[in-house]
Amino acid sequence: MIHIFDGAMGTILQEKGLLAPGYCPELLNIDKPEEITAVHQQYVEAGSTIIETNTFGASPLKLSHYNLSDRAREINIAAVKAAKAAAGNTVKVAGSMGPTGRFIKPLGDLDFEDAFENYKIQAAALAEGGADYILIETSIDLQEMRAALLAAKEVTSLPVICQLSFSEDGRTVTGTSPQVEAITLDAMGADIIGVNCSLGPEQLVPVVKALAENTNKPISVQPNAGMPQLVNGKTTFPMTPEDFGNWAPKLIQAGATYIGGCCGTTPGHISAIKNALKDVEEPKFKPLQRRLMLTSRSKTVTVDKELPTVLIGERINPTGRKKLAAEIKDGSFLSVKKEAMDQVKAGANLLDVNMGVGGIDQVKAMKKAITEISQLTDAPLVIDTSDAAVLEAGLRAYPGRALINSVSAEKERLKSFIPLAKKYGAAILCLPLTDDGIPKTPAGRLEVMDIIVSTAKEAGLQDGDFLLDGLVMTVAADQNACNQTLETLHLYREKYGYPATMGLSNISFGLPNRPLINSTFFAMCLAAGLDAPIMNPYDESMQNALMASMALLGKDPNGRDFSKNEANLNIPKGPAVAKHVELSPLEAVKQAVIEGDADSMPELIEKALATGIDPNELTEKCLTAAMNDIGVDFGAGRVFLPQVLLSAEAMRSAFTILKEKYATTSSGDKGTVILATVKGDVHDLGKNIVGALLENSGFNLIDLGKDVPAEEIVASAIKNDADIVGLCALMTTTMTEIDEVIRQLKDSGNTSKVIVGGAALTQDYADEAGADYYAQDAVIALNIANEIVGK
Amino acid sequence: MPIFNSPFFEIDKKETKRYAGLRNSDFNEEIVDEACELARLIINPTGIWDIYDYNDNTQQINTSPPFILQGESIKKHLTGCEKVILLSSTVGTEIENKITDLFKEGKYSLSLMLDAAATTAVEQSADLMEKAINEQVSRKGYNMKWRFSPGYGDWPIEQQPEMLKAAQGEKIGITLTESLMLEPRKSITAIIGLYKKEENCPEGKPKHNCEQCNKTDCIARQNTCK
Repeated sequence: MIHIFDGAMGTILQEKGLLAPGYCPELLNIDKPEEITAVHQQYVEAGSTIIETNTFGASPLKLSHYNLSDRAREINIAAVKAAKAAAGNTVKVAGSMGPTGRFIKPLGDLDFEDAFENYKIQAAALAEGGADYILIETSIDLQEMRAALLAAKEVTSLPVICQLSFSEDGRTVTGTSPQVEAITLDAMGADIIGVNCSLGPEQLVPVVKALAENTNKPISVQPNAGMPQLVNGKTTFPMTPEDFGNWAPKLIQAGATYIGGCCGTTPGHISAIKNALKDVEEPKFKPLQRRLMLTSRSKTVTVDKELPTVLIGERINPTGRKKLAAEIKDGSFLSVKKEAMDQVKAGANLLDVNMGVGGIDQVKAMKKAITEISQLTDAPLVIDTSDAAVLEAGLRAYPGRALINSVSAEKERLKSFIPLAKKYGAAILCLPLTDDGIPKTPAGRLEVMDIIVSTAKEAGLQDGDFLLDGLVMTVAADQNACNQTLETLHLYREKYGYPATMGLSNISFGLPNRPLINSTFFAMCLAAGLDAPIMNPYDESMQNALMASMALLGKDPNGRDFSKNEANLNIPKGPAVAKHVELSPLEAVKQAVIEGDADSMPELIEKALATGIDPNELTEKCLTAAMNDIGVDFGAGRVFLPQVLLSAEAMRSAFTILKEKYATTSSGDKGTVILATVKGDVHDLGKNIVGALLENSGFNLIDLGKDVPAEEIVASAIKNDADIVGLCALMTTTMTEIDEVIRQLKDSGNTSKVIVGGAALTQDYADEAGADYYAQDAVIALNIANEIVGK
Repeated sequence: MPIFNSPFFEIDKKETKRYAGLRNSDFNEEIVDEACELARLIINPTGIWDIYDYNDNTQQINTSPPFILQGESIKKHLTGCEKVILLSSTVGTEIENKITDLFKEGKYSLSLMLDAAATTAVEQSADLMEKAINEQVSRKGYNMKWRFSPGYGDWPIEQQPEMLKAAQGEKIGITLTESLMLEPRKSITAIIGLYKKEENCPEGKPKHNCEQCNKTDCIARQNTCK
């Protein structure tokens, strides 16, 4: 059956002159309910079969803008009453809940629980008033939608319609695609899933299609009347009722069965939809086969026997990792975040998150880990815990559809974990383990799996919610361990066809050359039906086994990825390594400085010294000469600052070695330079770069740092008998301090030469301030310094 | 009022290389990668924004107290705009300390690259915030101009204290030194004009580039890149 919603309410109220500036539109439900009923009446007459209450902004958080939060219940109940007065017996009433206007943490400053409470109050009032549906609409954040849906489900038993709002790129502002919306909300128990606002009907056809391709739930769509324009200071929507109506059959064809209008639509638009759909039959879609699909806020990962293997990264787990455990205990999540990033980079598709550290608040730790990781990567997460409270904290915080690791047939686990999976729309990793232990035989494991799956299905889980664990025992302890696992995988595939997972390394415990056993076992399991191994993604032998297996099992057609990868291995990395070989020892050092190759420096210096070259000659002919060359190239625009700094690093390496060997070969015999960023200025990268070049070109550098008072600079120049004073200021607001330093230097009678520089400075300014030199960049500063001491 | 911290899973390497002054030349990609990844780990991107009425004749923003913009460039930039967004954005101090530490350790090029990655991150964070803002204002029929900050053109930097207050930067931990520098250094305050679609707004096309800046010898200047 096709259902027709209504169109916009606000514009009609505005045209009727009912919305004075500063007046809360939802207050009309109480002040002038007859006017609200009249608008509803127009839509009922136009053909709406579901009308929406005037409560878009009637949640306590929204009403707080008008100091009306405490009247939320009253306003929502009155709104339903006003709608029902027009609805009669045949038309249904949907209680509308709009966004809070704020983002939930960590995207914004609103606490998830506050958003949840906010929607609970509104949904309860709408239900109390007698609404037939709860309609959560125009949300641009999946997490806000999750809070509202959970709230609606908690306080009412009404069917819930969930509608996100997408930008022109087909995603919400926070990155959620229609596919992610459909999968995540379907699993959480949304009854109708859809889209409204932001775009016109034309742009929403592909969105509706993507929704329909990812859920069997009914799809709703409420487009704007085209894209908004301002005419004579008023926002208007250009699409006529007729044009709008013409799109209705296309939206139905794409998969929608609930259709209406949002901004700019009028009773005329609704009646145009009705007319356009008069002879249109609801298209019959084949029900989708439910597959295991997991989501993050912006990404979907499907685990299926037909698809390439999905790698579950196991590294975010403090078990047996003292440093990681200690960090988590201290509340630092830096290593957790780094493991997340590195594993994804190494090819992990899902990330297992375990916060099993003794003596800490694991609920808090899990919430924090989930929050931090989902801001950092888009890989869907696996929540790994044996504690139901920790699990719920993780599921609540997670803006997507997670996997639970794990649900066994232990009574307590079944009782506490499965309802959480249902409530939060998570999939479950099923472990064939009972209160009596692990069944010895594959058939025994299958029996346990039957218990888990049937219990879960009784609780409302469905195909597509399960990942089955093959369970790996140690082959050193039981010669049949491998065979049993392989047989278990076969049985799972035969009976259920659900994807399978397992941790692998247990197999080789107690044997030598574990990597060989592990990777061989891995290949066997992949052939027998392992779809999502839980493993260390950095393990090269496992990655190689995976790559080869994909080619052999036809999941990498014609071994294309495999060939590409092997070919890559043959290409030498980095810049040509052999170059130094043909050069004389002196030339080789010079070349290494120019190329910024600090790593080769110790070896090259050793070689040069071994041929009897004097360290001073080395400094002058190689190091200084190289820096000169670089300076020339930099000036000519052939090399750029980062390359100059790499060379400086090579110089630094060379000087460090020379200093170690010859205490007298100080790098500071060219002259003394005092360097400072002047008072009031906190920018020091530019000054540091100048310092690095000077220090690594043989100057004795005294770096006073940033925000340095004039008096300190002058005192240091006198005390150290400086040859040069280098002053830096970045901004127009701080460069005047340079004048002051120079004035005080002159007053003190000090004769150091002054070089100035910094983004806002110019030659003219330097001249006026009385500086001896202006250096536009670090290389010029170095050249000037060389010139000064050369005189 | 709204705080928005957009998640982003990548720091733009091309922009990072531009800010480091690399132009289009080849450079050790490992250092660029390392800097961008390290930056992602230690940035704390956060932003705040709100929308205000604006009078393009008097250059007055209807904040409380009202904020009157100075300078011809901002006046010209906001001609035809009836509302403005004021925004602040920062990536925090942790990355700043790391930049300093790395330089001290002699990892000059990584330090420079991390500094560039931090600049890229704060700009990217503001870009994503703009995208979220656009979602809301386009619904009301507005188009957005590009971000304009104190110090651009002849908009005097001396207005930064008023600007930071109006743009609520303090709420996300941005402060101002006596010499009017934002701290943390990798922070932004900016204004975005909103104009009507059908009106003839000069330079209406959004284009954020280096042309407004007087520093023509900047190593990162865009239009000198090939």
